[in-house]
Amino acid sequence: MSALREETGAAASPSARSVRLEARDLGHRYGRRVGLEPLSFEVAAPGVVAVTGSNGTGKSTLLKIVAGLLRPSRGGTTLTFDGRVVAPARRPGWVGYAGPELAFYSEFGVAENLSFAAAARGLPAAPARVAQSLERVGLGSRAGDPVAALSSGMVQRLRLAFALLHEPMLLLLDEPGSHLDDEGRAVLRSIVVEQGRATLVLIATNDEREWGLAERRIELAGSGLGHTS
Amino acid sequence: MIARFVLLAWVLVCLLAAFLWAPLVPTLGETTRVLYFHIPSAWVAVLALGWSMLHSLLYLRRRDVEHDHQAAAAAEIGLLFCVGATVSGSLWAKAMWGSYWNWDPRETSIFFLLLIYGAYLALRSAIEQEERRARLSAIYSAAAFVAVPFLMFVVPRIYFTLHPDPIINPRGKLDMDPRIREVFFAMLAGFTALFYWVLSLRVRIARLERRFIES
Amino acid sequence: MPSGGSNSLAAVWAILHKECRSEWRTRYGLNAALLFAVTSLTGVSFAVGRLTDRSDVLSGLLWIVLLFASLASLSHAFVREVEGHTMMLLRLVASPTAIALGKMLFNLVFLAVLELVTVPLFLLLMGAPPPRWDAFLALLAAGSLALGASATLVGALIAQTRGRGALFAGVSLPLLLPVLAAAVSGTRAQWAGGAVTSELRLLVAYAVATLAASLLLYDHLWED
Repeated sequence: MSALREETGAAASPSARSVRLEARDLGHRYGRRVGLEPLSFEVAAPGVVAVTGSNGTGKSTLLKIVAGLLRPSRGGTTLTFDGRVVAPARRPGWVGYAGPELAFYSEFGVAENLSFAAAARGLPAAPARVAQSLERVGLGSRAGDPVAALSSGMVQRLRLAFALLHEPMLLLLDEPGSHLDDEGRAVLRSIVVEQGRATLVLIATNDEREWGLAERRIELAGSGLGHTS
Repeated sequence: MIARFVLLAWVLVCLLAAFLWAPLVPTLGETTRVLYFHIPSAWVAVLALGWSMLHSLLYLRRRDVEHDHQAAAAAEIGLLFCVGATVSGSLWAKAMWGSYWNWDPRETSIFFLLLIYGAYLALRSAIEQEERRARLSAIYSAAAFVAVPFLMFVVPRIYFTLHPDPIINPRGKLDMDPRIREVFFAMLAGFTALFYWVLSLRVRIARLERRFIES
Repeated sequence: MPSGGSNSLAAVWAILHKECRSEWRTRYGLNAALLFAVTSLTGVSFAVGRLTDRSDVLSGLLWIVLLFASLASLSHAFVREVEGHTMMLLRLVASPTAIALGKMLFNLVFLAVLELVTVPLFLLLMGAPPPRWDAFLALLAAGSLALGASATLVGALIAQTRGRGALFAGVSLPLLLPVLAAAVSGTRAQWAGGAVTSELRLLVAYAVATLAASLLLYDHLWED
């Protein structure tokens, strides 16, 4: 693993906060199947970290564990914000997560889905926040549309808006570029660069256009599909 | 190894004593002998449920798969003894009360135990992932733990019962012939040891299965 | 400012509000439950006729109809999230306890609406107005509370199994048996003109015990 390349100016950003993520002997099994081979790493804000590895090595699993959605069967992660440790059960409040399995309520509109998320999270000034994050991903004109009417690229943008809604300290993006057009990729790039300047971003991807944005890579080993034992 | 044969001999001696040595209770007649099987079975059914629930709670706390093995094995064996207690009780009810089943509070309670065991095992069989199965069935077990005292103790107080109270009666004393008492408690100990032995076998199988799958 | 405290009342209310709006738009569960209740009620009424003086049969029928009409739909609260793949979104915006409490409140509202239609219709068809409305309504409320609390916990478990809806009635019955026993016996006593305090106390105690246990268990509901 390469060392974190210091980016001048990033640390001086006024909104920069201390975010540290540490994994120690972290591994997961789904029954008899290995989901993630044990690994250890330590990353800190500001910065963008790419998680790469061939299919089946556990990129999504790793991100879900960090997000607090999955309890690892071995080892664990420690997440600290400004010196305070955030237990896995409380992670969803602090972490922004966007992954391919994230779906929205089809009976509700685009803005309605985000309004619900904002209300459940107890965010102040919810309407302005929802409008702002929709603008940020280029869905401003689609706010009133039902989710069922969105294309898969637009759903991917909505996932990004959902992850950014509460200005998270740690942004977790699982295959964020999937289904996106060129304009969508430009939006994604600007979001990653901007968030990476102030906080910590983890991108799980095998797409060079995405991991190229990262200063550091965590390469997942493991059998994957390549050489099954 | 030797313990196994001692247990076998113990139960055999109890069995012979139950039929040849212990006297009959005048009001119950020959049906007295069901006492030596029915009550120990019911006792093991309750004990196994308690054991299963205890290990479910321990699993939720420690997340050690060993507790899940214990909880599942106890439930399987408990169901077996519960069926035994239900059938022997039902036969006795036919002889004494004239019908196999009439929703006496004791019958309701044992039926309730059967339902809990059945539901717990059905829930387990519907979940494939090992960790999820262990966690969700432990949650269910803990919830059922809350329901047990209500049905086992509160409902029989509301409804009128015909069931004899041979061990614990409202006056809190034992109304038994000493010979009946000796055979009964010996059988109770034998059944408890039997439960523990079968349980340890079942848990060992579960451990081996797990090791086989992981390798 | 990021908010870490998602275990708040805000989340519970947001979920209750979302559930109500979703139900209002799709009428996913309510239509089915009402149809079931009305069908079984008229079926029973057609088969047995008026039962003005049979308080034992009346109370049993009332609770059986209510139990099965609600069982048909109470599991949907979670099954719908799993089938729509929205469970992940929900888990990302609220704590397990807030999710379960929000769903439970919705289930209670759902039960109230269901009873608002079913119970008057039942009393009308059977020609048996309760002699003591206060006792009758108190039993109904306490029974629903206990029913809702148990059904929510089991519903959350069942939604994560292979069978989903199919197992719900069987698995929740052991937990609902105390409710059924106490509610039926209380309602019967009420029609016969007897006292209902012990049954009422039993129902409330069971609801409180189930709720207390649930609050300890909710945290373990979703971990994968």
